[in-house]
Parts: sequence; structure tokens; C-alpha cells
Amino acid sequence: MRSEEEARRAIDQYSDMVRRLCMIHLKNYADTEDIFQTVFLKYVLSSASFESPEHEKAWFIRVTINACKDLLKSFFRKNTVPLDQILEQPAPLKDRHREVLEAVLSLPAKYKDVVYLHYYEGYTAPEIGHILGKNVNTIYTLLNRARQILKETLGGDTGE
Amino acid sequence: MNDALKEAFGQIRAEQALKEDTLSYLYKQTNGYQRARAAVPYYRPLLSLAACLLLVVCLGLWRAWFTPVSVISIDINPSLELELNRFDRVISVEGYNEDGQTLADSLSVQFLNYQDALEEILSSDTVADCLARQELLSIAVVDDDTQRQEALLAGVQACTAGHGQAHCYAADGAELEDAHHAGLSYGKYQAYLELLALDPEITPQQVQTMTMREIRQLIADLSASDSGIQEENIETSQQGSGPLEQGNSPGSGHHYGQGGGHHYGRSAE
Repeated sequence: MRSEEEARRAIDQYSDMVRRLCMIHLKNYADTEDIFQTVFLKYVLSSASFESPEHEKAWFIRVTINACKDLLKSFFRKNTVPLDQILEQPAPLKDRHREVLEAVLSLPAKYKDVVYLHYYEGYTAPEIGHILGKNVNTIYTLLNRARQILKETLGGDTGE
Repeated sequence: MNDALKEAFGQIRAEQALKEDTLSYLYKQTNGYQRARAAVPYYRPLLSLAACLLLVVCLGLWRAWFTPVSVISIDINPSLELELNRFDRVISVEGYNEDGQTLADSLSVQFLNYQDALEEILSSDTVADCLARQELLSIAVVDDDTQRQEALLAGVQACTAGHGQAHCYAADGAELEDAHHAGLSYGKYQAYLELLALDPEITPQQVQTMTMREIRQLIADLSASDSGIQEENIETSQQGSGPLEQGNSPGSGHHYGQGGGHHYGRSAE
């Protein structure tokens, strides 16, 4: 079992990333709390040793995504809430940020992870394929389609 | 689009309350980060100890079950031995001549109580035929423990009651190995030793194929000729029930009770 110091460091380092992944997948704050508890407890109880910080980060991404998917499989969790509630933040979001995030959240589930990992975390398609355990070509396809949908949704002002 | 997405995602942060709640949850769930150590001392050593004890008990029972402590030697013409464990169950059946081996192969007395096994053997066609021909049945209970000897002997005597002429006796296992080394069952080996004292030329191989009646008769004849009681021998042979197949004197009289205090004719008791 890991120490309290290790737990604090992991929460400081990865809580924002876990929070963003939760926002992509989950519908409310209570579910996000559940995922936080699940992911960090798993980390504290895990005896896995990481070869590098990148390895540890990839572990958190994988565990968080899997925990979100497990939670969503539950019948009682399949409720929907307005996007406003999902995007609730201590500091109000600016309109342009809200618009972009709403576009991402409107994407089919299979595109959300790759969009986040590529556009925010800066992972390449092979790296995403490795983390998510998917074929690289599948990742390229998902990224291309997601990009097209986002372009259509957000119009010309976000052209890459 | 890259920058817009990056900028938008960057606005999402974990709330301070969420971090603190998670830390509190972790502290509680791990019992102050001591969970693994706190849980171990109570039951893990006990579980290991219980598993070891269970293993020892199982091995002990297995060993006790499959270790022979007594032998019942059954000789009529088929010669066979039953090995019993300390629970009086038959753990092996060994034939000591051709008839004995055939009989042993035809029986299914493994793990039966010795009395049930004996009943099955006595009621088998081979033994029943022998008894019908007034052959002599010799049953030796071999055990080093006197108490067990007595108990087993009583059980054997109860089984043989009403099965013709049967001689049941108990002995310790001192000569059991010698008997097996000679290729004879214990009961037949004892008879062979008696015969050997009277006829040094006799071999275990010759005795192996003889019925107990033939051996006893030969002993009786040789004893009679040795002691010069020829008249008695002649008289006895006239009362006998059949000719000798092997022997060096005529007649087939019954001289039970000779040879080391053996008592034949239990069925008449």
C-alpha cells in the first residue's frame, strides 16, 4: 500500500486530468466523486511500480476511462442532465470555451477520449492506440471523423 | 481548432473540495493508510496454521487408512491374505497360490469391513465348494497388538461359525515376512513349518499347491510313523474320507489338534 504522501502527490498531479476525463464521460458531480474515489483508492492499494512518470500517467488515464465505462454500464446511472450542469465549474466558463466543450460533449462516446488525449494531452495516434489498447488506424479514423464533426459544429472559426 | 480545444479543456479543473473529499475517503478506507498491516495479524497466521493442521490431519488419515496393521490369512486350498488397516477395513487382497490369485481377482472386498469381506469370501463358489468337500479351513489373525488380535479373532470366529471345519487362531507377525519370502500365506507357512520338522525334504513349492487337509493329513501321518503308533494310523486311515494326493504313508485320517496347539473342528464347538 502506498503512503499518504504518495496519494497527495498523485491527486495534485492527476486530479485535473481525471476531472476532465470524468467531464467527458459522466453526467453529474456525484458520479465524478465516485470515480475519483475509485481511481485514487486503486492507486493507493496498487503495488504496481511505474517505470516513468509517463507510464504512471498512462495508468491513470486507462484506469479512469475504464472506471467511467463501468459506471455508465450501470442501469441506474444512465440518466441524462443538461450540459450546463456537466460544465459546472467554480469559475464560470467563457462563452467560447463553453461552446467548444459542448461540441466535444456532443460527440459520440467513442470520439471523446481520442479528442481529449490528442488535442489536450498532446498524445500521438500510436500513443493513444497503446494507452487505449486499440489499433493505430482505428485511432486515425476516429480522430479524422471527430475533427470533421467538430468543424461542422463549430463552423469556420476553429479551422485547423 | 487545436488551440481552442486546448484552451477550453484547460478551463476544467478538479474542485478543491473534490480533492479534499477524495483524500478523506482514502484515509478512511485505508484506516489511516494502515489497512493492509492492520488486517494481517489476526487471521492470516491463523489461516496458515489451520491449513497446515488440515494438511497434517489429512496426511495422517491417509497414512492411517492405507497402512496395514493386521493380516488375515485364509487357507483352504485357495490361499489368500487380507491386509487390514487400523479401522478394520480391507486395504488389499493377495493370493498366494494359483487358486488364491483367481479367487482374489474375482473378489471385490476392497475397503469392506473384515467381517463383511470374510462373509463374501466364505460364500464364494470356490470356498463354498471346498467346504462342501469337507476341506479344512484355516484362518490366522496376525497382529502384534494383543487386544486387536483378540477382537479380530472373535470377529473371525463369529463369521466362520456354520461354515464347516474351521480353525481360527491368532498370532503375532514375527514370521509373516518369512512366510511371504517363501511364497506362502501365513497360515500355510505355519503348517509348512510343522511339516518341515517331520520331513526336511518338503519344499514350500510342494506345500503351495496342497490343500490344508492334505498338509494336515501328511503331518498326522508323519507324526504317527515317527512315534511308532502304526496301529492307530491304520485305524484312523480306515475312517478317512479320501485318499492322499501327496504323502509318504497310506491313509487319510484326521489328526487335528496336532502342531502347536491348533484346534480344528471349530464348527463342532
